[in-house]
Amino acid sequence: MHIDFLREQFAKNRDSDALVWRDQVFSYEQILAEIDGWADVLEKESIAKGSVVSIEADFSPKAIALMLALIERNCVVVPLSSSVQNQIPEFREIAQVEVVISVSDEDVSEISRTGTKVDHPVLVDLQAKAHPGLILFSSGSTGKSKAAVHDFVPMLEKYKVPRHSLRTISFLLFDHIGGVNTLLYNLSNAGCVITVADRKPETVCAAIEKYGVELLPTSPTFLNLILVSRAYEEHELGGLKMVTYGTEVMPESTLERFHELFPDVRLLQTYGLSEVGILRSKSRSSDSLWVKVGGEGFETRVVDGMLEIKAKSAMLGYLNAPSPFTEDGWFKTGDAVEVDGEYIRILGRKSEIINVGGEKVYPAEVESTLQLMEGVDEVVVKGEPHPLTGNIVVANVKLGTDETLAQFRKRMRAFCSSRLARFKIPQKVELVENSLHGERFKKMRK
Amino acid sequence: MQDKILELIIRTARELGEDELSLGGDLDADTRLFGADGVLDSMGLVTLIVAVEQAIEDELDESVALADEKALSQARSPYRTVSTMAEYAADQLQGG
Repeated sequence: MHIDFLREQFAKNRDSDALVWRDQVFSYEQILAEIDGWADVLEKESIAKGSVVSIEADFSPKAIALMLALIERNCVVVPLSSSVQNQIPEFREIAQVEVVISVSDEDVSEISRTGTKVDHPVLVDLQAKAHPGLILFSSGSTGKSKAAVHDFVPMLEKYKVPRHSLRTISFLLFDHIGGVNTLLYNLSNAGCVITVADRKPETVCAAIEKYGVELLPTSPTFLNLILVSRAYEEHELGGLKMVTYGTEVMPESTLERFHELFPDVRLLQTYGLSEVGILRSKSRSSDSLWVKVGGEGFETRVVDGMLEIKAKSAMLGYLNAPSPFTEDGWFKTGDAVEVDGEYIRILGRKSEIINVGGEKVYPAEVESTLQLMEGVDEVVVKGEPHPLTGNIVVANVKLGTDETLAQFRKRMRAFCSSRLARFKIPQKVELVENSLHGERFKKMRK
Repeated sequence: MQDKILELIIRTARELGEDELSLGGDLDADTRLFGADGVLDSMGLVTLIVAVEQAIEDELDESVALADEKALSQARSPYRTVSTMAEYAADQLQGG
């Protein structure tokens, strides 16, 4: 019953494209058939209603249909994508997964049972209410992964409002709040999701051209990779109407360069967290980092420069950490922001602020400046303890030139001296060979 | 060893340029680095120390800490002049 509104929508749009997967187009009729197929399998395999089931897969017709069939069966869904391969045993245990359903790259599925008995109060409550649930793991780019449990019923509510959909690439992963949002948004508006085999700039640009992608939801790190790789030169990207970016602070320099190259593409900042879901947002303009966030079901406030959110569709709680909510239900995001009327500008995670001799440094500001330098392909800025100033600013740089460290440092100091306050200029520079982002195209500051 | 490090410190300090050093004349072994009449403030000192540590690692293939508890608790600060810094670094490298 929970997905009846989706079933109706699919039935009304039988012939429309629902999904492009492995160069094949799947219609809504085919997705409906897949859901029915799964409903039969789950029944036959006696998967109890309300079971905690992991879907170990990337976006595919089977995996998507399985998720919907599990929601219909009031199950608690734990999507785990290939990007967390090494943590799967740990995540299964934390989420108290009872049934594992894996869908291989060839879309072949396999069902197994773990023998686990669910006893976590949050999960037991959900089962008692006969509500389907969703467990998402935070990326843990700055610490241990936390398992956020959502009640699917309020979460699905916001997708019942009809909205306009664009042909969207599924850049964010299946097990990420942004990926789940992209999927549900498109399904509920009978839009089309285009999946990609990998997330290389070349592959993504090729898919945009080939399948007429209109919306690319992605991360600032990936936009920078598109710029550095120049993959856009090989493909006709004229159909692209909008790029949404989130999950980390956008360096101003990346936004400006992207906007210059694609003046007709609307750039919109999104804001969401595993704990509260995705807020509605509106950037002041395509080249502005100022953004209004909120929308139906969300309240926001700024306390001591930090953003706090109260959400109707907030998670029920973590499975492996204390509740992060205040007594009256506000979630402290840990994001430091500046405020200008209705707009905010995100400065960075509180935990990533570098305190250098009593002065605050936001990594994103320094990264943005360094990325303006010729030959800087990727850069990650972080703090390192130092006996003299408490901390120092350290820049890890992937260079496209063959400069030595001393040569680059000299050029960097000259470049930054008119652009950054002295204490913000990295006191330490390390040159690296490998990419500086993780599977989720988010800078790794660990 | 100490001469080699002395030369390395002078070269590294020059590379940092005028923003970090308020130098009147040229830089030599007796140039006051930090403290009374020093050419560096604390930000400049941290930057120089980190750069020298990295240069020693690159060129001599040895790692040395020039700003740990030990360095900070010396009766006579190793950061007074170029030569005291070189002396301290050389001592550390020789297991001092």
